[in-house]
Order: sequence, then C-alpha cells, then structure tokens
Amino acid sequence: MRHAADRSTATRLSVPSSDCNSKTAAWPNGAIDRGSVSAGLDTLSAMLDNMSIQNTTALETTAPVIAATSLRKSFGDVEAVNDLSFSVAAGQVVGLLGPNGAGKTTTVNMLATLASIDAGSASIGGFDVATQPDLVRQLIGLAGQSAAVDEKLTGRENLELFGRLYKLPGQERKRRAAELIDKFDMADFADRVAGTYSGGQRRRLDVVAALVAEPPALFLDEPTTGLDPRSRAEIWDAITQLASQGTAIVLTTQYLEEADRLADEVLIIDKGVVIASGTPEALKRNLDRDVLEIHVDEGDMASSLELIGGIEGLVTSEAERRIGVPVGDDIASSLEVLRRLQDGGVSITDFQLRRPTLDDVFLSLTGAPTEQEEVPA
Amino acid sequence: MTTSTETTISRPAVLANPSAAVRVRRALQDTNTVLWRDTVRTLRQPDLLFFAVIMGVFFLVLFNYVFGGSIGAGAGIDYLGFLVPGVLVITALQGAQQTSLGLAADLTEGVTDRFRSLPMSQVAVIAGRTIADAVRNVAGLILVAVVALLMGYRFASIGGAVGAIALATLIGYGFSWLGAAIAVKVRQPDMVGMLSMFWLFPLMLASTAFAPAETMPGWLQPFVKYQPISAASDAVRGLADGSPAGEDILLALAWTAALLLVFGPLTVSLYKKEQQ
Repeated sequence: MRHAADRSTATRLSVPSSDCNSKTAAWPNGAIDRGSVSAGLDTLSAMLDNMSIQNTTALETTAPVIAATSLRKSFGDVEAVNDLSFSVAAGQVVGLLGPNGAGKTTTVNMLATLASIDAGSASIGGFDVATQPDLVRQLIGLAGQSAAVDEKLTGRENLELFGRLYKLPGQERKRRAAELIDKFDMADFADRVAGTYSGGQRRRLDVVAALVAEPPALFLDEPTTGLDPRSRAEIWDAITQLASQGTAIVLTTQYLEEADRLADEVLIIDKGVVIASGTPEALKRNLDRDVLEIHVDEGDMASSLELIGGIEGLVTSEAERRIGVPVGDDIASSLEVLRRLQDGGVSITDFQLRRPTLDDVFLSLTGAPTEQEEVPA
Repeated sequence: MTTSTETTISRPAVLANPSAAVRVRRALQDTNTVLWRDTVRTLRQPDLLFFAVIMGVFFLVLFNYVFGGSIGAGAGIDYLGFLVPGVLVITALQGAQQTSLGLAADLTEGVTDRFRSLPMSQVAVIAGRTIADAVRNVAGLILVAVVALLMGYRFASIGGAVGAIALATLIGYGFSWLGAAIAVKVRQPDMVGMLSMFWLFPLMLASTAFAPAETMPGWLQPFVKYQPISAASDAVRGLADGSPAGEDILLALAWTAALLLVFGPLTVSLYKKEQQ
C-alpha cells in the first residue's frame, strides 16, 4: 500500500519553459543557395519524424516492481543523491537523465545492492533493498557502467557463467544462453572471447548477460554511451522488447533522445536532485523548442526586424547580425520566416536550425546564466 | 527439451530463508563456479603461468650459478640441494601475488560489482579465486621441479616430492589470502603490485629460502629462523630431502593456519564493507 502512495508523490513537477538559447548547431554552417535550403528542409522534416515518440504503453499494476522513496547518499561532503523518489511498474521504463556526476550511477548502485543507502528506502518486488539484499539480488539484472563482462570468456561462456551463479540447472543454462544468443542476434560472435568484441557487441553481451535469469527488474546504466548509432538502435530494440514482455526497467542516460525514445517517464537529475520529471512528451513540450537562427548581411538587420520583428520570443544580436526565431517543430513557420525575409530583399548569409541540447535543458532548468543575449520583452 | 519461441525459463523460486546447510551448499556451488571461471581465464592466459614459472627458473639458475659457489662453499653444503626447496616456496608465493593482481583487476573493472548484484555467495568470489590460484600454483611448482631435475637435483623420494609441492602450495594458499586482503583494501592494480613486492622481498631475502640462517648476522637470526618463508623453506626442504623436519612442518602449518585465520575473515569483511 505504501507503494501506491509513492507513485503519486514520485514526480510531476512543473517544468519551467526553456529559453531559446541554444549552442549546438544541428545544421551545417556555410553559405546557402536555394538547392541546399530545400535539401536542408528535407533533413529537417526527417529529423522531426525521428522525434516522434515511440513509447511502449505502461502497464498499470497495483504495486510497482521497483520503488525508491526519498533516497539519499553522500560521499563525504558531496551529496550524490538527494531525496530521490520514483517507482517503476512491470513493463515500464523509467529514464534517469543527467550529465556525468548527476548521481545516476549512484542511484542504480543503491537499488542494485552495490551501494549502501544513507537515508530513505528502496524495494524491489516488495523486498527491502537494504535489509533483504539476498532476496533482491534474485530479482534484479544489472548492466552497463557498473558491471562488466569477463573479457577472457566467450559471450556464451559469460552467459553460462551467470546462469550458473543464478543456480540454473546445467541443461537449462545452456539452453538459455543459446536462446539469448539467438534472440539478440549474437550468433556471429558468441563463441569468440569477449575481449575481441567491438564496443557494440560488448555492450549487447553486457545487457543480455543481465537477462539470463529473466529478472523482473532490470537496471541499465548508460547502456549505449559511446556506441555507434547502429549498435545503439539495436540496444534500444532489445530494451523495448524487454519492456513489452513486462520487465520493469531503470535506464540511465546522458542522451535526451534515448530517454525520449525509450522511457515512459523521465527524471532529469542534476547534482543528485530531480529537477524535472514527467513523460517525455511533457518534458519536450517545455524544453524542446527548436530555434531558427538566421544571419543576415550588414545593413539588413533593421529591415529584417521590420519584416519579422513581430514574432514572439525573437532573440537578436546586432553585433553578430544574428536573429533567433523560436519555431517549435513547425516547418511551415520556419519556411514562412525565411520566405518573408527573402521576399523583403534581405540577404541571408547563413541559417541554422538549432535544437536545445541537454546542456541547454540544464541551464534553463537550473537557472544558471546562459549566453549573453538581448531578449526583447 | 524442445523450445518454443515463447519460452519461459524455470527461474529458481525466490529463496526467502535458506537454511544454513542450503547456504553452505550454494556457497560451495558458487565457489566451484568462480573456480571454473578463474581456471578458464588462467588457461587462456598461459603467460601468467609462464611468468610464475620463469621467476622460479630464474631464481634456480641465477642463485645456483651466481651465488651458489660462495654460499655453498661458505656453509659447506650442496647448494642446489639447499636451493630447490626454497625456490619452490618462492614460486608458490608468486602465485599469491597473482591472487592480489587478479582480484584487483576484477575489483576495478566492474567484474566484482556484477558478482555483487547476483544472488551468490560473496565469499565465493575470493575463495574461488584463491583456489584457482592454488591449482595454477601446483602446475607451476611441477614445472619448476622438472627444471630442477634437469639441473641435476634429486628428490629423496616420490612421496617427498609430492609432499614438498603440497606443502609449498599450502603456504602459498595462506599467502593468497594476504594478497586478497591487500587487493580488496587497496584496489588499484599498480599500487597492489607494489605493495605485494613490499612484503615479499624482505621476507624472501631474509629467509632460509636461499641461504642458511647461520650465514646471517646474529641479531637477524631469530627473525630469519621463525618467519613463515623460512619455516616453509625448511619444512619443504625436509620433505624433499627426506630429512626429519617435523618441527618445521608444524611451524609452516601453523603459519598457514595463522594467515588463513587472520586474512580470511579480514578479507571477507573488507570485501563486504567495500560496498560504497
């Protein structure tokens, strides 16, 4: 019953809306002719398609599989985790999103019985993590940063090693290893020593090794950090598949996109504190505002502002002859802005469509000063 | 067993309150599993065994041909006969350093963290490794003994050879737990490596492994006579020569027991506390 209460108190903070300062260009710099503008717009529309959300539907069950209540942990004077609460139901993916040192790994380590809990409580399948670690360990799988596979064993041997440690009978663990190898497309490399694997192969083995005993609770600590896009997509597919089979998953990541793609609920963590949480849709609505940034010829600044100055949220920098137009994810408004300027005789020297990076999200959420820009009222 | 695509594995039911007997059985099972893992690793890294053996061979060759003349003549003994049992003990101690280094690597590379998240006996992680190292030690000791035979050394009997290797393995096993304690406490492999040399070198050189105690200064002799490496060297020497060495054997066994009693629980408690 306590768990039900945890769920409601867990999240849903309001998220301050992002300002439009973005630093990372998702758009190549350079002079632009009509051809490249239209090619660019195709890319833009492809980008927007990719952003569509593909969440698995959360299965609502009465008791969460994973429940964390007011977790705290400090190392000396450093508060690594400060009052963190969340819960994960069967089939649900909760994403912990934050930069290095945010406290994501510490949180996972506490839940996976690797680190002691200073204050607060956590339970897995109803068992208390601090007082019943032996029981909890029978219910969890851990992969990623905090756990490693054995580089001197083959992939298959690694899986069988974990099968043995989970006390699966001999036949069963062989069958299980073979099944996982087959299911996650590892046949090509399963009988090579893991030390020879590529980053993607190793990470796949790492995640799959956590699945040997089909744990109802799975912790994936930055499972795709440093991977190439193809390997990342494969791991994503695996995670989606597991969630659809009812595994409760805690996923830590530094990538907004990954949390967006996989998580039913996202907690944005900075310095051990949850600074925002909610569904990816809710967070995106507030944070993910694209900015069309336009550079114009010297002397065209005034006429540009005359043409498009009425748009709300415009950010201009006279010195750099730069105008930032918040366009959301609306292609038509980007096109409209560019067309209006061009028709008005403004010479556009460059434009970029910028997406807020995780940095920007943090800056906007933590209220730290951003780049100096004049923001018209 | 036929498998369908929608298989569910028969995952063991959650074991709520295992009896002591079940816990011990599972711990032994886990120790056996870790032993298997570490043995496979050893077989895939023959260089580890090679280095353990090559050190022993170096000691045999260098001490016998470089210092052998002066030490042997000074003490009036057959130096090769004196040296081989000492080198067997030193070879076994090299194995103890491998325990240190291997465990430090597991600790820093996240392998033990993964083990820690599994429903397994945590003592097994260390017990399995020390046993695997002891098994490798036996192989290394046999190889060093073969080199000694090639150099002209002769054991008094086959039983004596087996006893000598067994006792050397045993004392090495005791020191493995000292090595494990250092690894768990210090973790960083390079620091662990340095600290291992720290205890090994003085103990090894100020011992009766390479030279009789009588050749050393009087103030050092009490230490030299009773310290574990000397006790082990003298005991192994007795077994190998077939000379009476009951007291030395008892002292060596007592040292082994002391090492296990001190560093066994210490290592386990350090390892459990290692939880951040």
